[in-house]
Amino acid sequence: MRRLPIYLLIDTSGSMRGEPIVAVRSGLQSLLASLKQNPYALETVALSIITFDGEVKNLVPLTALEDFQIPYIDAPETGATNLGEALEMLLQKYDTEIVKTTPDRKGDWLPFTVVMTDGKPSDTLMFKNMCEKIKRYKFARVVACAAGPKAKTEPLQQFADDVFTLDTMDSSTFSKFWQWVSTIVSQQSQNVDSTQKDELPPPPEEIKLVL
Amino acid sequence: MTHIKLTAKDGSPVEFIKKDPMQGGVKDVYWHPQKQYVVAFFRKKLDIAGKDRIEKLVGTYRERIFGLAGGEYWKKIFCWPEKIVEHEGLTGIIVPKYEECYFFAKGTSLEGAEKEGKWFASPKNFNRFVPPEEKGDLIGYMRICLSLARGTRRLHLAGLSHSDLSYKNCLVDPKGGNACIIDIDGLVVPGLFPPDVVGTPDFIAPEVMQTLSLPLNDTNRKLPSRLTDLHALPVLIYQYLFHRHPLRGSKVWDMDSDKQEKLEMGEKALFIEHPTDGTNRRKVENGEDKLLPWINTAKIPYTIAGPYLKALFDTAFIEGLHNPAKRPSADEWEAAVVKTMDMIQPCQNKSCPKKWFVFDNKSKPVCPYCGTPFKGVLPVLDFYSDPMGKGKYRPDNHRLMVFDGVSLYKWHSDRNVFPSEKVSAADSKRVGYFRFWKGKWMLVNEGLPTMKNITAGKEIPIGQGVDLTDGLQLLLSNEPTGRIVNIQIVNG
Repeated sequence: MRRLPIYLLIDTSGSMRGEPIVAVRSGLQSLLASLKQNPYALETVALSIITFDGEVKNLVPLTALEDFQIPYIDAPETGATNLGEALEMLLQKYDTEIVKTTPDRKGDWLPFTVVMTDGKPSDTLMFKNMCEKIKRYKFARVVACAAGPKAKTEPLQQFADDVFTLDTMDSSTFSKFWQWVSTIVSQQSQNVDSTQKDELPPPPEEIKLVL
Repeated sequence: MTHIKLTAKDGSPVEFIKKDPMQGGVKDVYWHPQKQYVVAFFRKKLDIAGKDRIEKLVGTYRERIFGLAGGEYWKKIFCWPEKIVEHEGLTGIIVPKYEECYFFAKGTSLEGAEKEGKWFASPKNFNRFVPPEEKGDLIGYMRICLSLARGTRRLHLAGLSHSDLSYKNCLVDPKGGNACIIDIDGLVVPGLFPPDVVGTPDFIAPEVMQTLSLPLNDTNRKLPSRLTDLHALPVLIYQYLFHRHPLRGSKVWDMDSDKQEKLEMGEKALFIEHPTDGTNRRKVENGEDKLLPWINTAKIPYTIAGPYLKALFDTAFIEGLHNPAKRPSADEWEAAVVKTMDMIQPCQNKSCPKKWFVFDNKSKPVCPYCGTPFKGVLPVLDFYSDPMGKGKYRPDNHRLMVFDGVSLYKWHSDRNVFPSEKVSAADSKRVGYFRFWKGKWMLVNEGLPTMKNITAGKEIPIGQGVDLTDGLQLLLSNEPTGRIVNIQIVNG
């Protein structure tokens, strides 16, 4: 069974503590609930969560949607934003978790990645290296989202196909963001096998595309 | 949340609640406050041609299909846009809400979700996620296939092609045997309105896939049309009968997944059950147990759908796969499903997942879904008619497998009557029934005034029955279009 791997990279640095991280939790919950009612997603989607602060964790390895349990996500009191390391882990997982096509067996579909951060990478050298390295990997799409006033979009543009911003980090904005992610993922799972990259569905007002 | 009140182009009032639209591919969909209908706005401003298309669909074409005799029937098959509105520069259409049967029932694991065809078309969804009480039986799927073939036939007859027939654009209710074609606004009028989509993956015809990269105005570029509907229709029928895709086998044509897709659905498309070319057979890989038995084509071969459908699948997926002109028409599919339904027998295993199977005429028939052998005595009726009116009766290539309580209809007794939406109420009344009574099979005449036992040379008046024996011949009607049946008794 060919899977559509979805990697969610979530910023858990100190500034996410409080309302933002609570909003991420409930956002994930509604994302899961909505995907579990979608026959295209249920057929192919497998999810993985990587969190990053001063430390990078693979909170859930790539798991089929129907077996996926939402982990408890927390943010430490303080901590750096090691996005570079997170990307490093993403590429490691790409190499080890994704089934490659061989001459006699079809592999997984190209993975889809969503990165969400409220700051800028602290591990600048690593980040720079990873932005280079990621270019050698094929993704269906990498969508990055800069949440809140302190988030920087420029670094995200170096590796993502589409960059969006969230002006505020309140729970209603977050919930709209995750709803929209679920729409994108649904669309992707319907068109995994499409030969053209579709336009993303229009984001809600609170989410802005960075041109 | 805003309550919007508008006037439709036909002058009638339209209301909707402008909040959290459901997002389709090209439209945002809003509910009427009491959920009587939906208003679907095209996200992009329509150009003149786009508006013209919608107006024709809601106007001329709708009237042409729904305004004629039998029009009521089509309301069940098509969810057709009824009105047009303009709001803030965008065009919207008013579409009837879906019938209750197209939502998963309360108390099931998918409560409230739409019964999009996809749930039932893929082995994983069907085995793991469709609630058991919603899975339906073989008769339910046959009726779905019949409705889809009929709907497609009707569109083609009106000079339209659907152009994006897929499990996404049809709702199905296997439990009740219902199907409804939705998202009709993309309909294509050949020569007048070109298609605006290439179709849905899984349903794109090979010739469309192969020429996808050519510019739209290139004469070699193939676009969705009536002929591509005739590829998508059998793909749908195949999926509802076998819960797998007819072209998605195990053959790797290219290591790159985009190229693989283009080849597998395009230039290299190959039926997974091709009788002589096994290149693309579906292998059962590790961890795929949960997709069984559907992906095992040796266990559930397409031939279990009976001879009529098998012949059409061969034409559609072998001869016609890369030769669109050869593809069977929608009415051929409709006729084949009708004939196949006369060959269905109840499985004698009470807990059989499909409850019915197409009787394959073998002397030792076995239900292909649960392996239960058929036991008993079964009359098989072969129909003959005399198209030239010269007293020479020829086989109609149509047979009826009898089971207890099965009915005989006018479309069995008269070759000019075909069971479709056009059959009058009088013609759709049953004219006879079969009973297994005191160890013998009997046909009771209820509505055939000129029925005759040819073998015994005796009339069979209405209200009387005749014992069915091997080799017995009956004249069902002495009208020029009346049929003769020859009876065989099969021992299981």
